[in-house]
Amino acid sequence: MPFFGEVFSSEIIKKPVLDPKGEDLGRVKDMVIIKGDPLPMVSALIIERKKKLFWLAWTDLNIFNKKIISSRVYKDGLKPYELDENDLLILRDILDKQIVDANGAKVVRVNDVKLEGFNGEAILIAVDVGMRGILRRLGIERGSEEFLSFIKASLPFNLISWNYIQPLRPKLSAITLTVPRQMLSELHPADIADIISQVSREEGAHLFKNLDIETAAETLPELKTEMQADIINAMDTAKAADIIEEMSPDEAADILSDLPTEKAKELLENIEKEDAEDIQELLGHEEDTAGGLMTNEYIACPPEMTVPDALERFRAEAKEVETVYYIYVLDKDEKLIGVISLRDILLAEQTSLLADIMETNLKTVSPGEDEMVVAEIISKYNLLALPVVDENGYMHGIISVDDIIDVLLPTAGKRTRRKG
Amino acid sequence: MSRWKRLVIFLSILGPGIITANVDNDAGGIATYSIAGAHFGYSMLWSLVPITIALIVVQEMSARMGAVTGKGLAELIRENYGVKITFWLMLFLFLTDLGNTAAEFAGWAASNELFGINKYISVPIGALVVWLLVVKGSYRVVEKIFLVICLVYLVYIPAAFMAKPDWGQVARETLVPSFHFNSVYIVTLIGVVGTTIAPWMQFYLQSAVVEKGIGKEDYWASRLDVIFGCFMTDIIALFIIVACGATLYKAGIRIESAKDAAISLAPIAGKYASVLFAVGLANASLFSASILPLATAYYICEGMGWESGVNKTFKDAPQFMWLYTFLIAVGALIVLFPNAPLIPIMWISQVINGVMLPFVLIFMLFLIKREDLMGEYTNSKTFNRIAWTTTAIMIVLTGMFVVTMFV
Repeated sequence: MPFFGEVFSSEIIKKPVLDPKGEDLGRVKDMVIIKGDPLPMVSALIIERKKKLFWLAWTDLNIFNKKIISSRVYKDGLKPYELDENDLLILRDILDKQIVDANGAKVVRVNDVKLEGFNGEAILIAVDVGMRGILRRLGIERGSEEFLSFIKASLPFNLISWNYIQPLRPKLSAITLTVPRQMLSELHPADIADIISQVSREEGAHLFKNLDIETAAETLPELKTEMQADIINAMDTAKAADIIEEMSPDEAADILSDLPTEKAKELLENIEKEDAEDIQELLGHEEDTAGGLMTNEYIACPPEMTVPDALERFRAEAKEVETVYYIYVLDKDEKLIGVISLRDILLAEQTSLLADIMETNLKTVSPGEDEMVVAEIISKYNLLALPVVDENGYMHGIISVDDIIDVLLPTAGKRTRRKG
Repeated sequence: MSRWKRLVIFLSILGPGIITANVDNDAGGIATYSIAGAHFGYSMLWSLVPITIALIVVQEMSARMGAVTGKGLAELIRENYGVKITFWLMLFLFLTDLGNTAAEFAGWAASNELFGINKYISVPIGALVVWLLVVKGSYRVVEKIFLVICLVYLVYIPAAFMAKPDWGQVARETLVPSFHFNSVYIVTLIGVVGTTIAPWMQFYLQSAVVEKGIGKEDYWASRLDVIFGCFMTDIIALFIIVACGATLYKAGIRIESAKDAAISLAPIAGKYASVLFAVGLANASLFSASILPLATAYYICEGMGWESGVNKTFKDAPQFMWLYTFLIAVGALIVLFPNAPLIPIMWISQVINGVMLPFVLIFMLFLIKREDLMGEYTNSKTFNRIAWTTTAIMIVLTGMFVVTMFV
């Protein structure tokens, strides 16, 4: 049964169902859900006609959306159904139930359940716990939205992704979250990305708009490429530029390289000159090469520096730099001549010079090297970061281990959703 | 179970019923009972007998539902009847309770006026104190102080005796029902029922039982607590009516202000009657003004699925905090209206309680008969009969009132 897009359970309940001849089969009384992978899905509709209940399997549906529901089964072919405590029904068992957080404290209530079409199945993607859900069930969501936009206010979406809900059992009296409620509002950017990529694009963009710049800058790189472009395009340039400026140069370059050239240019013009130059430099490299992966933020010191001075510089610069586990020793011509791990410098004699303690047997890659080769080197030598050096020995940047892990194992938000 | 053990359990469970009983005798209650006695003498005393029975039945149902399901009344209504019905019920209860909150502040204003304090000073201070009590989280301590001062009401008992009523007549009027088919009598009667069996108290009591963690095993103790509380409420109500009947009614004084109502305490307190009355009324008003908006905000949030809790901030639980604040602020503002009639605000709000009561009772009755919720603890036939009769009587009374208004 093909079902695309998204729909709320309250938009389906009480809708009439038609058979192939256009005859009225009755109205949707409830929806039966079963365990699915990874999220629960609708397995049948319960239809009520003249006080009698009937079972209409999901596979017997012909059209299913908020306007029309029709079945392949004719009126006489409908199976009678009796309410069973062991079935899990959306209206009876989920709607209006209390949601308790992982430590049992009451938080909010299920106002509505959001379904999304995926591989032809209707997946339970999220629960609506917000004002919108209540208004929708009262039948005044649209009206309230118009009224609020009239007074320049908006109606926020308040969804909890089904990922954060513990598996349901029949006869439940409350629905339990897998994370404490506070965490839901202070989610890790990767988890926020996860949620954004699961709700609809429009809602995702909306969710994103409400994040502060810092969180937004951490969340954006975790999203799928198309989603990133959508969000940036929907945002005004000044804010988008602020967010991109907040990111590390390699992440910023990644995002800009996927945007239309015009848009990228416009954004770069709005970013502080110094940051823009860093990004520009990275933009020159192919995306799946070492140059495309690297960042040009790292800590570098000259060889004649003493250990205390180097540590002093480390303290000053580490705040701004993402990967701090190695200090790179560059000579006057910006050529890489050695590397010192954070551990080595912490354990070194206070009087030593960097030249004395640095490792000179260097593992490096050239900017044009393929990303898989980079991964192999990092894996082979158990490195936390790998310097990118050209044929003349000039240092261009570093690739950190987490950048390469993202290539090998994209985060859920970035991944194209797997088949269920 | 040994007698000792039972006593210990009883004492530990004691509370929800008695607190509810005392909140019951709030500003609206005092005003309504005083008016019933002053305007109709002893002729409304008979109603206290059926009211007490109905009160016990209804509150016992609330406590039982709380103990068996572990859920509040608003929660049960939402989970079983959906958001639409809950929304409208909560909206009407909100408005009713807004009226009740205004009544509490009216009582506070009236008692302060007896001390010569202007309402434009007393009401804002009272509202602020109540609001801070909860927001600053010292409510639990203060609750106990309020409870102790509630004992002031016991003064109505000697006051009634010292007014030397005709006890034979009192007994007769209490046991033999009489009825007057005129709108003032009917509306006062609705008020007396409405103030005694207030809708919001059923929500409050059930939640208090749940919050105390009383389960099926200890339920018997909770039942005693409730019955004890109900008798307490109605015995005080009886003596207020008698005291007012023996003084005000006899002298033909109609209650237009708190000063008039205070005369009923003259036989015991002489010239200090108004001071005594003022202290009692002020305490009752402030006590209920701090419980009522809080209880209302709690049960509305419970029903609508909004986060709630006194330890939350405006950011964490915006609806809860705003409901609570709105009730107090607007309740106080109503009273601050120039020339706002304080005594009428107090008793008319109780009439609205009486009109709303059957709706709440119907939900309770439908919920409590459900075996999937209550198991073996569903209502007995007698209970059902009494509760349904109460519901029917309140609907009939409201209907009669509307009819007599226009006839």
